[in-house]
Amino acid sequence: MKLFKSLSVAAMAIALVTSSVSVAGASSSLSGKIVINGSSALLPLTLQAASEFKKLNPKVKISASAAGSVTGPQSVRKGIADIGACDWDASMDVPGFKKFDGQVANKVAIIPFAAVVNKNVGVNDLSTKQLQDIFSGKVTNWKDVGGSDADIILVNRAFGSGTRVNFQMKALQGADFLSKGSNYKEVKSSGDMKTAIETTPNAIGYIDLVYVTSNMKAMQINGVAPTEANVVNGTYKVWAYGNFMTKGQPTGAVKAFIEYIQSTKFQNGSLKKLKFIPLSAIK
Amino acid sequence: MQLESSAQRPIIGTGASELGGSIKAGSGKKFDRKNRLLIYNRFFKIACIASAVFVCLVLFSILFFMFRTGVLTFQDVSPMTFFFSTDWSPENESYGAFVFIFGTFALTLLTLVISVPLSVIIAVFLAEVAPKWLRNILRPVLDLLVGIPSVVYGFLGLTILIPLLRDLTGTNMGDGILAAAIVLTIMVLPTISRISDDAISVVPRKYRDASYALGATRFQTIFKVIVPAARSGIMYAVILGMARAIGETMAVVMVIGNTPQLADALFKPTSVLTSNIVMQIANVPFDSTWNNALYMMGFLLLIISLLMIVLVRMFQRKGAQQ
Amino acid sequence: MNMATTNAPNAPKNAFRSEKNLNHVKNRFFTVFVWGISAIIVLFILALLFLILEKGLPSLSWGFIMGLPSEMEEGGGIGPALFNSFYMLVISLLISIPLGMAAGIYLAEFAPNNKLIGFVRVCVEGLASVPSIIFGLFGIALFVEMLGIGLTIIGGAVSLAFLNLPVMTRVTEEAIRAVPKELKQASFALGATHLQTIRRALIPTAISGIVTGICLVAGRAFGESAVIILTAGVSTSGEMWDFNLFSPGATLAVHLWYVQSEAIVPDAVSISDKAAAVLVFVILMFNIVFRIPLWIKDRKNR
Repeated sequence: MKLFKSLSVAAMAIALVTSSVSVAGASSSLSGKIVINGSSALLPLTLQAASEFKKLNPKVKISASAAGSVTGPQSVRKGIADIGACDWDASMDVPGFKKFDGQVANKVAIIPFAAVVNKNVGVNDLSTKQLQDIFSGKVTNWKDVGGSDADIILVNRAFGSGTRVNFQMKALQGADFLSKGSNYKEVKSSGDMKTAIETTPNAIGYIDLVYVTSNMKAMQINGVAPTEANVVNGTYKVWAYGNFMTKGQPTGAVKAFIEYIQSTKFQNGSLKKLKFIPLSAIK
Repeated sequence: MQLESSAQRPIIGTGASELGGSIKAGSGKKFDRKNRLLIYNRFFKIACIASAVFVCLVLFSILFFMFRTGVLTFQDVSPMTFFFSTDWSPENESYGAFVFIFGTFALTLLTLVISVPLSVIIAVFLAEVAPKWLRNILRPVLDLLVGIPSVVYGFLGLTILIPLLRDLTGTNMGDGILAAAIVLTIMVLPTISRISDDAISVVPRKYRDASYALGATRFQTIFKVIVPAARSGIMYAVILGMARAIGETMAVVMVIGNTPQLADALFKPTSVLTSNIVMQIANVPFDSTWNNALYMMGFLLLIISLLMIVLVRMFQRKGAQQ
Repeated sequence: MNMATTNAPNAPKNAFRSEKNLNHVKNRFFTVFVWGISAIIVLFILALLFLILEKGLPSLSWGFIMGLPSEMEEGGGIGPALFNSFYMLVISLLISIPLGMAAGIYLAEFAPNNKLIGFVRVCVEGLASVPSIIFGLFGIALFVEMLGIGLTIIGGAVSLAFLNLPVMTRVTEEAIRAVPKELKQASFALGATHLQTIRRALIPTAISGIVTGICLVAGRAFGESAVIILTAGVSTSGEMWDFNLFSPGATLAVHLWYVQSEAIVPDAVSISDKAAAVLVFVILMFNIVFRIPLWIKDRKNR
């Protein structure tokens, strides 16, 4: 009997402790778990922000992963992620994808894109019209846009890629892509694009400015070079906002995390180091 | 002697009856142990059956899941279009998978054309020609090759093989089924050659002795006696290699060019079932026709690989009849 | 020379000899041919291994192997990815070895020889030939869409276990079947039950085959990427020793792919070289470490 009593007391004590813990968990705004899924292009940024944020708020658990841009808002809609990272504003229609109702786009960074070519290509500048002609397959030889006589090798991202959506909207102004041909191929990721452009003579493709290396050449578009300065002063138009999609306005830890990414400290610190452009740079 | 044995007999008898008595009396331990063993046996057998059933269950749930999602494709796309149209452009809602089905078969065939002769030669070398010490080194090396991640093969293909092909042939790109077939050959070579090697090694010694006794050379012995005798084993190896070639994803996607157009030339960027699934699965909206079509392609892959297994079993039965 | 002159007058024998000579030429040619092709392929394989290892191995350090990955600065490590590789491997083996062995034992020992069991065998072989990407799609359908747990270690490990299950089953069945009948009968004759026979006589005898199978399975699981990208994601939790089953679970093979395809760190190329070297090295170790006891056992038995 005595044993039973002490046992029940212990059980009650445990119940009390656990309930008080859970109450504490609910009342403190900076604990809990944030699940992020979506764009792989934004993953380095998310992971960096997550590790810094976790140092400041050790009680918050962040689980960040990535598959493709559209997975982000989709996972948010299904309720398996709190934040969906997306290369475009998924609360609006874009070529190929319908908008996601009830989701809010939280801008986190500016991502500039560049049309890139292999180093052997002699052309340095392309107009929007020329880009449209090249990517739709109307122009197939470099000599037609001022280069030497060689077939243009077109390297494209697969349909559904966030980079592709943005490049189509911003650089090609909505014009369609070629989708087959003997000098046409598609690659799966930014890294594959980088390798393909670096190693294939006469190739042209497009990529986030972050990935541009000295082994390839970034094109001027309409006479403007793709540099951070030109994006900031408004002359280079091929850029887009990276977005964190949330179901309604973010709250609690999710809100704090997004605010941390948008804070001046992160924007001018790590985000700049990752070669994204701070939101504050463009008014 | 006699006396002794007759004197012993009753003792044994009483001993036995005593033992039986003790069991009946339920003094405990021995009876329990027997029972326990029985129960263990029964339980173990049931656990084993359950595991075997579970393996089947996994296969059927995979079939079910793939089919359930895949079949939804046909709500929006007619089977005729899906199987025979060459127009795959999700952006225009047209889902013809013929290019990928054709590509898968073309790539597999080309891979086998390159890899089977090489693998059989390696197998013959390992089993019949190489000295013992070399054999003992080479077999683990080939086994090791099976474990190299396909990502590594793909990357080497992209950075070394494709530029090489471009230089050798003067084509513009180098991507296509030839590049993919070469990468796949390197990947299936260990599988096919090691299993063929085993098949050749188990051919009974007497076949060889008989052949040599008839005055045949080593060349004749190997190609007229041993390889035919090991035929069903080699066939089994080839089909396993084929299954691996059909299912390989990460390496193929890096060198094939990923363009939905018919693979009618060795150096034309094209696409196969696996590479198309992995290229697009990360970018599809759930519950869209596009997503369903990708699952349908997965279901097709599944059916193709199951058909291969039926083929393997047919060959095995044939081998057994011989 | 001498032989030729003595045989020269004999015409019919001469004809036979020329035939025989041709065969010898063929045989010689064939031997050279087989040696040549094999040498080329072996050299090619060694060059391949050398290519992978020489770029990475010399610059390896503990800081790299155990270190946390970095997203923006040079010098990031592969610690969490390597840990995930082993963690996920252990979980998937914990699931697939008992189940696979039990199923294999059933097929080898208990199963009656009828149509139904024939069908079960087809299922096992069928499952073994299912392309890995299908297990990935299945994992998405099961864990992401149905259970809604997202991309996690447990989802990846279970999908991986399913991938390995049929191989384990087949290898066990084959190994137990290869045990000589006399051994089993002797065990029964001593009054052992079926379970005792299996545990004390069959499995110890078949262990070498089973271990080879486990080795094969472990190597495959370690290098697998398509399944894990789809079911466990391309990132880690960024912490060392994270045993949480619901963390994202990129393994080393996936991390290698991620570094090649998405990472923007300046030293991505060197990380991927080193990661590839580590991967191949670990698989090499699997092959050696698992086999040493078997070699020793072999020597003893001889």
